[in-house]
Amino acid sequence: MPVSIPVLETKRLILRGPAPEDYPNFKSTFTSYRARFMGGPLNDYETWMLYAAEIGHWHIRGYGMWMIHDRVTDKPLGMAGGWKPAKWPEPELAWIIWPETAGQGYALEATHAVRAHLYRQHGWETAVSYVDPKNLDSIRLAERLGAKKDGAARTIDGNDIVFRHPAPTALFGSQIEHGIEMEIANYADPLFKPKGMPID
Amino acid sequence: MSVTITIPRLETERLILRAPGPQDFDVFAGFYASDRAKFVGGPLDREGSWRMLAMEIGHWHMAGFGRWIVTPKSGDNAGETAGLVGLFAPEGWPEPEIGWDLFDGHEGKGYATEAAIAARAYAYDVLCWPTAISLVKPANDGSARVCQRLGCTRDDDFDHPRHGTVQVWRHPAPDTLVNGGMEAYS
Repeated sequence: MPVSIPVLETKRLILRGPAPEDYPNFKSTFTSYRARFMGGPLNDYETWMLYAAEIGHWHIRGYGMWMIHDRVTDKPLGMAGGWKPAKWPEPELAWIIWPETAGQGYALEATHAVRAHLYRQHGWETAVSYVDPKNLDSIRLAERLGAKKDGAARTIDGNDIVFRHPAPTALFGSQIEHGIEMEIANYADPLFKPKGMPID
Repeated sequence: MSVTITIPRLETERLILRAPGPQDFDVFAGFYASDRAKFVGGPLDREGSWRMLAMEIGHWHMAGFGRWIVTPKSGDNAGETAGLVGLFAPEGWPEPEIGWDLFDGHEGKGYATEAAIAARAYAYDVLCWPTAISLVKPANDGSARVCQRLGCTRDDDFDHPRHGTVQVWRHPAPDTLVNGGMEAYS
């Protein structure tokens, strides 16, 4: 089932399907401690297999994880998109930012765009994110995206928290959406200097 | 810039080799859950099998080649998902490999050999591989016999971090095969 992966553009970012040339950045993160909340660190072989599976996911599900690039320099910054391997109870909205690019709102900007795309183009009526309870950056990002802890939803294996995103009707045109776009605009402002601890 | 690759379709006398897809998942998961998968990284649960199938598809996009689903052209099992045979070279592999897994009920018919000959001809004639190996776990006698039928000879064993010690079988070089084996597929 050949699939053509749409290109999404935002103020600062361009999102394309994962390509072989973007693998080195994926590898350096997934073979490191940074991947501890995503089943890592992995060895070289496992990392390659996972990256190939990220591509295969698109062909099986018709959606998947995009590679986030800086739209000016084309530098790969991380990944965001939909993820649903076999044992996931529901399709997940997932993100990961390469360590050297964290703290600039890229995950927020990319995930906000892919959520809207999955809602509008793929008919998703809801979305969850499965987050390790120790992954504070991801919990904060889920909350900034307007997601709320859903204690009634099935978890992957009991070791994760389920955050449920606002449904399309609760999101589009809402104050939540407006607030996210304000925050992204602040990050995109060259004079804006985030205060406090780095956040994705 | 993401490249869309078209996975070629090959034909042999009795078999069609086509792209793996979602429709193969149940057979694939059944095989990987079984004891027969112990020589090829199994047994795996459904999650592991799903990721493996996604990886096999993604392999084509990463490497420009990969493994095909083998289906018989005719007979009682025509069109069934009978096996996974082809070219495999993830990171950490000693060299690009010709590999084969036959799913339950499709063993003993010579399908692995027939499909591997077509895959080898594709590797040599289309991809211009100068050589090829096949990896076989010790005690996987069925697979070692396929290697012998394909004219392979033993090289030094290889130690893999996940799969342990595996036998390396080296295929005859392209110039020692008649017409490079071109007649093996159409």
